[in-house]
Amino acid sequence: MAQVVLQDIVKSYGSLYAVNHVSLTVDDGEFVALVGPSGCGKTTTLNLVAGLLPMTDGDIVIGDRIVTDLDPKDRDIAMVFQNYALYPNKTVYKNLAFPLQMRKLPKDEIDQKVRAAAKVLDIVPLLERRPRELSGGQQQRVALGRALVRDPRVFLMDEPLSNLDAKLRVQMRTEIKRFHQDLNATIIYVTHDQLEAVTMADKMAVMNKGFLQQYDTPKNVFDNPVNTFVASFIGSPAMSLVPLEVVQRGDQAVLTNEAGWELPLSAMNTRKALKATTNKVVLGARHSTIKLHKSETVGAVPARVYTVEPTGDITFVQAFVGEAVVIVSLDPTVIVRPDEDVWLEFDQERMHLFDGETTMALSAA
Amino acid sequence: MSIATGRAASPLSARSAKKPNVFSRMAAHRTDYLYVLPALIVMMVVIAYPIYYTIELSFYRTPPNLQLRDKVWAGFDNYTAVLSSSVFHEVTLNTVIWTVASTFFSFVLGLGAALSLHREFIGRGLFRALLMIPYVVSAVAASYVWKWLYHSDFGVIGALAVQLGFTSEPINFLDNRQTVLSSLIVVNIWREFSFAMVMMMAGLQTVPEQLLRAAQVDGATPWNRFWHVTFPHLKGVSMVTVLLLMVANFNSIIIPFIMTGGGPADASHIWITHIYQLAFGRQQWGAAAAYAVILFIVMMALGYFYVKALTRGDEARQE
Amino acid sequence: MTTTATYERPRVRKPIDWWRWAGRGFITFIMLFATLPMLWMILTSVKTQFAAMQYPPQWWPAEPTLNSYIKLLNPNDQIGQDFLRYFGNSFYVSFLTTVLGVVVAVPAAYAFSRFRFPGRTFLFFSVLVRNMFPAVVFLVPLFILMRWLGLVNTHGSLVLTYLTFGLPLSIWLLKGFYDNIPIQLEQAARIDGATRFQAFLLIVMPLSSPGIIATSIFSFIGAWNEYIYAYTFLSRDDQMTLPVGIQRFFTEFATDWPGLMAATFLMSVPVVVMFLVLQKYFVQALTEGAVKH
Repeated sequence: MAQVVLQDIVKSYGSLYAVNHVSLTVDDGEFVALVGPSGCGKTTTLNLVAGLLPMTDGDIVIGDRIVTDLDPKDRDIAMVFQNYALYPNKTVYKNLAFPLQMRKLPKDEIDQKVRAAAKVLDIVPLLERRPRELSGGQQQRVALGRALVRDPRVFLMDEPLSNLDAKLRVQMRTEIKRFHQDLNATIIYVTHDQLEAVTMADKMAVMNKGFLQQYDTPKNVFDNPVNTFVASFIGSPAMSLVPLEVVQRGDQAVLTNEAGWELPLSAMNTRKALKATTNKVVLGARHSTIKLHKSETVGAVPARVYTVEPTGDITFVQAFVGEAVVIVSLDPTVIVRPDEDVWLEFDQERMHLFDGETTMALSAA
Repeated sequence: MSIATGRAASPLSARSAKKPNVFSRMAAHRTDYLYVLPALIVMMVVIAYPIYYTIELSFYRTPPNLQLRDKVWAGFDNYTAVLSSSVFHEVTLNTVIWTVASTFFSFVLGLGAALSLHREFIGRGLFRALLMIPYVVSAVAASYVWKWLYHSDFGVIGALAVQLGFTSEPINFLDNRQTVLSSLIVVNIWREFSFAMVMMMAGLQTVPEQLLRAAQVDGATPWNRFWHVTFPHLKGVSMVTVLLLMVANFNSIIIPFIMTGGGPADASHIWITHIYQLAFGRQQWGAAAAYAVILFIVMMALGYFYVKALTRGDEARQE
Repeated sequence: MTTTATYERPRVRKPIDWWRWAGRGFITFIMLFATLPMLWMILTSVKTQFAAMQYPPQWWPAEPTLNSYIKLLNPNDQIGQDFLRYFGNSFYVSFLTTVLGVVVAVPAAYAFSRFRFPGRTFLFFSVLVRNMFPAVVFLVPLFILMRWLGLVNTHGSLVLTYLTFGLPLSIWLLKGFYDNIPIQLEQAARIDGATRFQAFLLIVMPLSSPGIIATSIFSFIGAWNEYIYAYTFLSRDDQMTLPVGIQRFFTEFATDWPGLMAATFLMSVPVVVMFLVLQKYFVQALTEGAVKH
């Protein structure tokens, strides 16, 4: 296994930038997830690492080699595709053997490796079948097997679970995680599903519109999103974002909106809010950090309930604060009704403030 | 949800101005051209060169022995000769009748056959296969078979007509200025209606079953269902089919060439057979070339629609 | 206490499904239209000359004979010798056209499907537009060209010409097939250690074999049936292909209708058999491109 370094890589089509100066380092044995909405450049990035697309600028290092100018076959990588890309005219056995044949391994060694990989993935009974005779989950395993059989330096995975049904996806998620732990493999994993990234990856790289937004552990990305995009993309339900104005009252800052209410900020949040480039800030809060009051309360802002969604052990309430929708989680014993007036209290310790102009997180320091 | 991180802004604007020019892009893709090269060479030799040559010939008077070094510049003489010749109008009218009637009836018969065969029943595959055989066998075979069917003395069609009491004596289908063109059109329809059938059958498969059910629930009669649901879905395929039929008919030569040679008295000459006769029968190379160029221009107009219809959606697919 | 609810049962008389009957009638008519001429061809071919030339016609051959066929297929007979030679010529030309067509069309179609090089669209359309032009337009210049290349009265002139009939359609069809093969398969192969060419040869080619079969049938049938170029380019008797050669029977033995029908039948057998066996591919090839799903 090996580390992977992306050095300022660029992929452009004319004036269109699919990947815009992305740099990051994947350590040896690390599981890194590239996440972002469709069209954010994550799959392009992966294809650049694989060498399937010519790169406009920058370098890619795998292990101790600069592989920028190497063919995919010479990069010593394995890849699992979203549609599995199993060769439809070959049996499972021959699919697994193909990468070894291409490397001209002796026949008995191929056989031994194929059987070993098949055993690990529990697909021995399927070896003589063809891909179309397999279920989605089985195909997925074969695709993993084809990657595994060669013992590559890096595994690249392009949304490998998105064609599976929900239940199988959860199951395969654990299996891939096991796979990573057992092999201590370096994995770069592309997904649009932030939940997959959060649950599986050691680190996640959040991308949007070709730019790398944040690269950190899932916990840090979740706790300290660098901007409103990351804040709204990571976590389910998403972080609620309320655009407000900041006004200074003495040495304390307060947030207001057109309705005229004022929300005084703590000392630390005041320092943050006053760093904004203009008087526009965005208040961010996760559902669990907001308290709902049924009557007017000091330090709480008025809102109107829009929908109530009971999920069993938690009830989610969507409420309007001005034009913005705020999601609050409630104990199911609390009864609220649509169109009811409520008051929301934000946890000053755990709230986020973003610059209304640049969308970047505001820090106290 | 627009977002701009601090480091992003500058390189984007700085680089986006630079757009690679065509030549550097061609150079970057140079190996791609190798794949197309063999096809291009063949097409160039056998198409581009002849097109150029036809145009050149049309402006010269070339001796009957086709010795090109003896050719004489003639300007537009060949064109004026062609357009003012007495047969031009009859041949053009014949061409229009031939093309339009063949296309129309082939399409209608093909559509009817496709609709009748759309419902699943035992032997449907066999029916389709049998109906397609006339399309698969050569036009030469079709011409000889029909020539025999139309035979003035022993033709089975003439005999049948008499037996059923339509006429008192066998009609001489092919040696009669009134009947010859329609007789040839029947042969042409016989040969190509199943092309339309296959196309329309494929088209029918794209009609969503749910839509037809919905229409049925909404109380639409079979005719209404056809007219409001099925037919609109067939529009695209129909257009392509009609265009392909038109092109094929406009360009077809074998049936009139073998069955009548354009006769009697030019009654079954269409442009193509006429051009052939001018060139290889009377060695009027210049006039034949001028004809060909005119035909060319007509075809280019049709070709515009042909390519447009054929490539629907192709350009939507991207890398 | 129970009450029996009474429901109304509307009386409906099943109407006659006119559409269905119209369809049946139509299919009967069109089947007769399509098959009767072929049937008459076969019936005539097994008649004696005398039986064929009767009025009113003998609807069913009174004394069927295979004489015409025996004559055509007998290599010791002059007619049989000629016929078999034409048959061989036709086969040779069609086969060569088909093989060369595949060799040239496959890489071109692959490139049009996979690569985005400048001028791709223009080149693609110019290839397609070939089908718009009638043979006659090209006859004279091609005749001159073939004369210059020294190919008049050779099968090479026909193969070269037939190639260009077939190519646009073959390229168009194969491109459709390549478009439908996921590019990920090639990417997987290249990551698995294959070069671009190996990926094409080992993965893409086998998957596109239905397309190659389909285009091959088309080229073969097209070449087998072609008449006007063969008629113009060949004048030597021993070179002629069947459609042209058959005409010689017609003029020399003007009254031998059973013989001509038998020759026509034999000429049609290869393409009809080919069509029946590979019908699926043929139909697919015919409709591909025109019907987008």
